[in-house]
Amino acid sequence: MSGVELIFYPFIIALLTAVFFRQNSAVSKFVALALFTYMLLFSINLFSQLPSSGYLDLGTYLSVPKFDFILTLKVDMLSTIMLTLTSVLLLLVALSSWSMKNQALYYSLLIFFSGAIFGVFMSTNLLWFFIFWELTLVPMYFLVGIWGEERRIYAAVKFFLYTHVASMFVLLAFFLIHKEAGTFDMTLVREGMLLSPVLIWWLLFVGFSVKMPLFPFHTWLPDAHVQAPAPISVLLAGVLLKMGAYAMIRMVLLLLPETSQQYAWVLLVLGLITLFYAGFMAIYETHLKKMVAYSSISHMGLVAIAMATLSYSGLSAALYEMIGHAFVIAPLFLLAGFFHHKTGSWEMKDMGGIMQKAPYISAIFVLAGLGALGLPGTMGFVGELSILLSSIKSFGLWMAVVAFGSMLGAAYIIWTLRRVIYGEMSEVVRKTNFSMNIFEFLALAIFALFIILFGVFPNLLFEYINPAFAQFTSLGGAL
Amino acid sequence: MISAFTILFTMALVSLFFHRSFLLKPLSLVALSAAFYVTLGGAVVPLIGFATNEQIKLFELVLEIVLFASILHESEEITITQTLFLGAASVLLLQSNTLVSFILSFEALSIISVVLVSYIKTKNQAQGAVKMFIAGSMATGIVLLGSAFYLMGGGMLLEPLSSKGSEFMNIGVALMLAGLFYKLTIVPFHGWAIDTYALIRHSHAAILSGIAKTVAALAIFKIFAPFLAEHITLSLPLLATLAIITMTLGNFLALFTKNIARILSYSSIAHAGYMLIAFVAVKSTYADEGILYMAIAYIFMQSGAFLALDSLKKEYDIKTLDDLKGFASQNSTLSFFFTIQLLSLAGIPLLAGFLAKAVVFYAGVDAGLWWLVLIALLNSALSVGYYAWIIKSMYFDEGTLKERLVDLHLPQIAQLILAAGTLYFGVFASSVFM
Amino acid sequence: MPNLAIILLMLPMFGALFAFLSGKINKKFAFWSAEIIGLSLFLITLKLYSSYTVPIDLPMTWFSLGDFSIPFGIYIDELSLVMLLIATGLGFLDIHFAHDYMAKDPHQPRYYAKVLFFIGGMILLVSAKDMVSLFTGWEFMGLASYLLISFWHDQNAPADAGVSAFLFTRFGDIFLFASIGLLFYLTGSLDLVHLNELASNGKIEQNMMYLIAIFIFIAAIGKSGQFPLFPWLMRAMEGPTTVSALIHGATMVNSGIYIVARLFDFYVAAEALLVVAAFGAISAFIGATSALVQSELKKVLAYSTMSHLSLAFIGLGAGSLAAGMTHLVNHAVFKALLFLGAGAIIMSASHVKDMWRFGGLKTKMPLVALFMGLGALSLSGIPPFSGFYSKDAIIIATLTNPLTSGLISSLTLIAGILSIAYIARLWFLTFSGEPRDKELFLKTSKPSFFWIVLPLAIMAIATFLMGFSQESIAKLVSGNVPQEEHVSGLFIGLMSSITLLALIVYYYFVKRLDLTKKIAAQPLMRSIHKVLFNGYFIEFFIHYFAKEVVIGGFAKSINWIDTYIIDATVNATVKVAQRVKMLFAKTHTGYTSDNSGAMAFGILILLIILFIGGAM
Repeated sequence: MSGVELIFYPFIIALLTAVFFRQNSAVSKFVALALFTYMLLFSINLFSQLPSSGYLDLGTYLSVPKFDFILTLKVDMLSTIMLTLTSVLLLLVALSSWSMKNQALYYSLLIFFSGAIFGVFMSTNLLWFFIFWELTLVPMYFLVGIWGEERRIYAAVKFFLYTHVASMFVLLAFFLIHKEAGTFDMTLVREGMLLSPVLIWWLLFVGFSVKMPLFPFHTWLPDAHVQAPAPISVLLAGVLLKMGAYAMIRMVLLLLPETSQQYAWVLLVLGLITLFYAGFMAIYETHLKKMVAYSSISHMGLVAIAMATLSYSGLSAALYEMIGHAFVIAPLFLLAGFFHHKTGSWEMKDMGGIMQKAPYISAIFVLAGLGALGLPGTMGFVGELSILLSSIKSFGLWMAVVAFGSMLGAAYIIWTLRRVIYGEMSEVVRKTNFSMNIFEFLALAIFALFIILFGVFPNLLFEYINPAFAQFTSLGGAL
Repeated sequence: MISAFTILFTMALVSLFFHRSFLLKPLSLVALSAAFYVTLGGAVVPLIGFATNEQIKLFELVLEIVLFASILHESEEITITQTLFLGAASVLLLQSNTLVSFILSFEALSIISVVLVSYIKTKNQAQGAVKMFIAGSMATGIVLLGSAFYLMGGGMLLEPLSSKGSEFMNIGVALMLAGLFYKLTIVPFHGWAIDTYALIRHSHAAILSGIAKTVAALAIFKIFAPFLAEHITLSLPLLATLAIITMTLGNFLALFTKNIARILSYSSIAHAGYMLIAFVAVKSTYADEGILYMAIAYIFMQSGAFLALDSLKKEYDIKTLDDLKGFASQNSTLSFFFTIQLLSLAGIPLLAGFLAKAVVFYAGVDAGLWWLVLIALLNSALSVGYYAWIIKSMYFDEGTLKERLVDLHLPQIAQLILAAGTLYFGVFASSVFM
Repeated sequence: MPNLAIILLMLPMFGALFAFLSGKINKKFAFWSAEIIGLSLFLITLKLYSSYTVPIDLPMTWFSLGDFSIPFGIYIDELSLVMLLIATGLGFLDIHFAHDYMAKDPHQPRYYAKVLFFIGGMILLVSAKDMVSLFTGWEFMGLASYLLISFWHDQNAPADAGVSAFLFTRFGDIFLFASIGLLFYLTGSLDLVHLNELASNGKIEQNMMYLIAIFIFIAAIGKSGQFPLFPWLMRAMEGPTTVSALIHGATMVNSGIYIVARLFDFYVAAEALLVVAAFGAISAFIGATSALVQSELKKVLAYSTMSHLSLAFIGLGAGSLAAGMTHLVNHAVFKALLFLGAGAIIMSASHVKDMWRFGGLKTKMPLVALFMGLGALSLSGIPPFSGFYSKDAIIIATLTNPLTSGLISSLTLIAGILSIAYIARLWFLTFSGEPRDKELFLKTSKPSFFWIVLPLAIMAIATFLMGFSQESIAKLVSGNVPQEEHVSGLFIGLMSSITLLALIVYYYFVKRLDLTKKIAAQPLMRSIHKVLFNGYFIEFFIHYFAKEVVIGGFAKSINWIDTYIIDATVNATVKVAQRVKMLFAKTHTGYTSDNSGAMAFGILILLIILFIGGAM
């Protein structure tokens, strides 16, 4: 399958899966697994084809020259990394949803989502980008709304509306870009062509901040995360938030470098506020999954700080942290969902002593928690160190405050571990049987492996991440 | 030369003899196919004052597909006949290019619309029909008053609308537009539509709000665009205000509404507001593609939505959101089609509704009206609130199984055609940009 | 040699994994693999030590971040080697000791894996060439300490103690982490040796250097259990005693001092030594006084550890690297001895830790009593044991340094002398007199010689022999033999006060225990006792601050803002929309007359606008 087929076939496969495997829903899992595996192989294969710099052309389709409405598929290092990350996450999410109810529809929505997200990362035409960007909302709306927890409807509608409103700003900005630069192709747009870059910058910035999310646009996320089924929370945190960060890098920082330079402080300040604000929210939280959600937001604050540096090292650090965050937060979400599923409670006080019942599962929770608080040897530390060094280099000594963000991380993670994993068993835990499906455990184990592997050997990733921003060395970036 | 008008008009007359015969529907469908074929060949109504172009041709083709689907859906003989009449009048209106042919075709369309809704069986339908009739006659009066002014100022009936002329001509054009806006349900000429669309039979509402309205919008744009472009200093603020008021009012009224038909009628008003942006942005080269795209998308999705609602009402007696609860688990096919049309109305991508809005709104940006477009975009986002709410009732809420009153198959095919149209024009935009 | 260093670094990590996995097959395998790995680590270190000529210097790049390269280098010099010998030697003895101590525990594989992981962290810390590898080792140890303190995580107290240990030390670690960033910004280098050079040559701005020195010192305070971040160390006694001995007595707690020693030139140049000495003096005083009144065996030792580490800090702070580090080395050995001795007692006495329930145990375990006595002598600074020399040197250093000769040296002196009081109290209460809990006494078993007593013996001999090689240790850790300065009368004064105190303790805690209880019942004594017993309520204050101010105040108000302002604003849009809808709904009455009226009104407005607009 070529690039364009990987976008559109999933839509058809999704429809067929939903229609034909309704009675025989186990097949749908394997359809999804096969497709996602193929997507992963495809993305990995892209690395070998990428030119040393710039874009690899994957073809143009559905051309409407007058409106410049052309499905231009181009990938560079950045998008290929995002594609690979997405496929890995999709694959693991498919594994960890093994015992979901109403599987045919569930997996067909996942497949639909995979097509849309591939479109997001492959198309360089702004309008098509927007189309896929919005299209990811639809399966998510259904996945949260149908399979979610008690307040799923509130969460699903809030998520859909909030992010949709934000997207409207993005669309307007894209229109303005086309009007002023004469093209929707982001590889051709240069900031110099634009007459009102500041207006466009702000529109894009607000639009993408909601998705990332940055304070004060974050409130949709805890609701969506908490109410979504655990694997969907992983997709939300690992893919949807990353989509926001990716767009922020690609459309804001790389497309409008001069205006971004001018307003980098906005990103920086919001990033810092997000880091600490969400950290304090997480400390106060007694709801397990909400705590994880706030931790997720807090880490996106770190990503924003790294982005604000607009430097070679800063953006590399941001991309690393994006990947690290996805792998670290995923097992936390999965296990939060698992513990809730087993104990029937979200409150940490109802748990405790799970380590005695399920040592290996708990060990993965501990490991992911340590990753979240940035312990050396995990991806979290490399991310935090990179962000600390790059931001302090760009903004000066006072950026040492970034380090104090991880104190908050330590506080909420360690307290959570104490309340959930360690200590004496609660009544509920004593009565519960924490057995887990082998496929779900496999997904967790792979996440755990990644956390350590890329935490100990970060160069495995930086080898690919650094070239993604190599143009900054020639631009003479902020450094 | 045989034009689509001739075929449809003839078939409409002939169909009167086939009432109570099983042949009525097949014959009508064949006639529509024939009309489709001749339209493809570029046939024009063989009278003075009618002409066609590629855009009109495309829209006629789309119109005939949608008519095909609605006849397929329809089970009442009299409505089929009237749908054919209405189709014939629509072709006339679309192809008219002089003032007199335009006004006459427009009146023909209005009269047929009134006749259509006059097939009254319940009190509600009577109320809807009367409201429409009164508003329509008032509008006709205004249009005629406007044309009188126009003629008084020295305008020519047998020529296209003049864009340069005396003050009387300008007032005349303004009055005509105001009268015509009743059909487009622009605020403050919208009052009738809220009730009529919601009260009359849903399949009638599909024809009125889906077909008649879009045809009128496209025809009005075609006739009046040069004039509006010429008087941009006055037309822009006026129409922009109307656009903002219309869409905002429509969207806000639709929120928190329980009756599905009423939601759709409010959304129809909101969409009129979006269409008006093309009139405001008439200076942009994208304006005519915008209105065309909007018309194409809207005719599919609005008729699709109302026809789906008609099936829901007929087969399950579903009227409100509460009735709709948990419906997806009962009839996933119908829910799926309804969802597609609703998402398209909401402007979700890969569906025609999104691209239509995108092109119209882009025309606005192109004309330098980004603030207006921002308002429109936010309105569009607001509208997701009630569309998503309908979908939420269908999919997320738990509900009891409804008793299925009848089991109809042809409406499903009609739904399939309309959904296919919505999907096709959501992906393949090149067919609209010529 | 570099290869050997790499093996030394990798072996514990893989060994931990191996011990865990093999232990899953059979519990005994876990112990034996740990024992063998522990021994080989010690042998490798010995080999490195014996063949030492020049420092092993392995600059390595960990990863490249954009245009930065993040280093992860190894540097082993004499100072590192001494620390390595302590870590691996005591580590091995500790593992050996654990054979009996942990014999009944069902989770031995986990235990040995964690201990080996800890040793690995310590090795990494002391062999670090730059701030990144140093911080990594630092955090590994912190993690291992956390995991081992809450080893018995099925009980609440150890689990809480783990949280306390992690958060207190992490608070300090954050400052170390921040200082990595600051150093990187200011110097572009993270190499420790290079940083010392830069600092000595005045290449770093003075104020910033001072700030960084303080930051690193905060981390050192956290790790070494100094005022005000010491409460975790007392709580850490909830862990297995073998862990307390290794981590919280002998090795990990030294790392704070080690890092200051490693950056000693930096501290000298930053003129931050006075702060080190001042905090050391406060901690020494708090530790020594609080140790006097503790009733738990291990808590006495914990406070004593705090107090003695402070002495090492004071030594450094007074400008004598040799005195401070020698004391650190001496302390590591005798404190491990004392802790393991305590472990032997606790194990034999069915895990009772309260000294008031012991008494007369010397008949049950004479060898343990003997070796602990030797350790106690060393700790209280009786010649010719090693503790005497270094303590003496520290006191002299404070007296001769004009900056510290006042209050700091007095506090140091008090803390130094009080050592004899609390350790004598511990020894007398445990070993001499009559058994106070008969039942417990009868149950108390005799520890095995090979597994329990032998390690004690080795350490006792070491602490004795080290007393004769103080100069070479000083040379190793500081690179030069310090000029011994003499303060007249000090020796006599020290010795006489020590003897006096020992006699007093003997009188009150062995001869007239009843009198002690009477005195303790006095209101004034009771309140003093309460203050000392609770470590001057510092934990209470910190907990209060964290719980009421940070969580109950700050985090709660942020939570309030989020719920009632930010999210409420978002949700209020629904209400606003409802209002607007109600407003708009008024425009539609449903009456035909109104519809027509609106149309007519619209036309009227249109005409007026046209009129104003000039179309008419």
